[in-house]
Amino acid sequence: MSRNLHPAILSVGRALPPHYADQDTLITALSTHWARKHFNVERLAAIHRAAQVGGRHLALPLAEYAALDSFGKCNDAFIRVGAEVGEAAVRAGLAAAGLSPADVDHLWFVTVTGISTPSLDAKLANRLGLKPGVKRTPIFGLGCMAGAAGLARASDVLRAFPGEVAVMLSVELCSLTLQREDASVTNVVATGLFGDGAAAVVLSGGSRAAAARAPRIVATRSVFYPETEWVMGWDVVDTGFKVVLSAKVPEVVEAHVGTDVDAFLAEHGLARREVRHWIAHTGGPKVLEAFRRGLDLPAAAIERSWRSLREIGNLSSASVLFVLGDLLDSGEARPGDVGVLAAMGPGFSAELVLLRW
Amino acid sequence: MTEREALVAGEILRIARDELGIEERPVPGEALAAKLDSLALLGLVVAVEDRFHVVLTDDDAAGTRTLEDLARLVVARAPEERLALAPSTGAAP
Repeated sequence: MSRNLHPAILSVGRALPPHYADQDTLITALSTHWARKHFNVERLAAIHRAAQVGGRHLALPLAEYAALDSFGKCNDAFIRVGAEVGEAAVRAGLAAAGLSPADVDHLWFVTVTGISTPSLDAKLANRLGLKPGVKRTPIFGLGCMAGAAGLARASDVLRAFPGEVAVMLSVELCSLTLQREDASVTNVVATGLFGDGAAAVVLSGGSRAAAARAPRIVATRSVFYPETEWVMGWDVVDTGFKVVLSAKVPEVVEAHVGTDVDAFLAEHGLARREVRHWIAHTGGPKVLEAFRRGLDLPAAAIERSWRSLREIGNLSSASVLFVLGDLLDSGEARPGDVGVLAAMGPGFSAELVLLRW
Repeated sequence: MTEREALVAGEILRIARDELGIEERPVPGEALAAKLDSLALLGLVVAVEDRFHVVLTDDDAAGTRTLEDLARLVVARAPEERLALAPSTGAAP
């Protein structure tokens, strides 16, 4: 297929809530809570520091989290703040692409940190003034890989409608899923790692004119790993979403990513050495290292993901889109460059997106 | 193991089973790390610290391979009132 028939990524709008807290501030705030349940609070602080996250943007001011004593209150905050940061991300993406809300034909919306019906994309259709014919597709439950998966699904649809424009929005307010009564180490790990934010990828079908430097989505691949539902997810409890996170995640990533990426690339006549840009989900230090080892990459190959992790934490499905946006903004990619965007998440499964500039 | 260490080992097994949902029981002398993944092991350490009011350091971890090692360390370090144990139903194997 000619390069110009592939859907193009025009921009990635990003929005972070204004309430930033560095990791030490968060540790201090949580220590009072931990001390009610744990003898050695310093051990939990060490788990937070091991995440190598410098700080997080939070949906709410830190002092307001104490009042979130029910799933309903957390979810109400998700809907309110999610609409705000979601709108900001979409507006930023459209502005960078030189488009207006009236140009949007498809709105994809992914999240795993809150729910609503109508889904948040309906609120955004009103707030943004999208046209009545906009096709909305909300996706819940793909977790950290939903940014990559949504990008892949949106590009699939644009192949059928090459003259149309899609926005793929991820909103993740992970801080609102904190289970304060869950004293497990898994919950402490998650609390130290995840942050809040939204990212909106603006895509155009292949027959629309796109800037020469816009990367094209050449192909996508999903890989489902049978009988691995236990690896990652939520247990839905009375107080909301309780994290399920196996210590095996890095092991599963390292065991599969090399083979899966190689098979994907080979289908398109490519080999790993020809990939110039690796856009990896910022799962955490162990996951990033497993990704690097599994693909036998030098540390510099995923430095952009490390930097994002250190600066804003793991934003679940939005993370890989933030890294993609950073790459686009850097101007490093040159015509002809090949990139692979990759994320793994609940299923357990992987989503791979092949890009060519 | 001394009788007291055996009681502590039994209590650690009870904590693992009742509080952490860990059903695996190490055979005597078996490395805990062979039975538990890193998160489960960390969870067990936190629970032991909470129960016995001890702080286990990285240096301790280096010398603590088995359940018996862990029980010995707890007995050596825990305040007396935290060690007042009746024989447990989760007695060491």
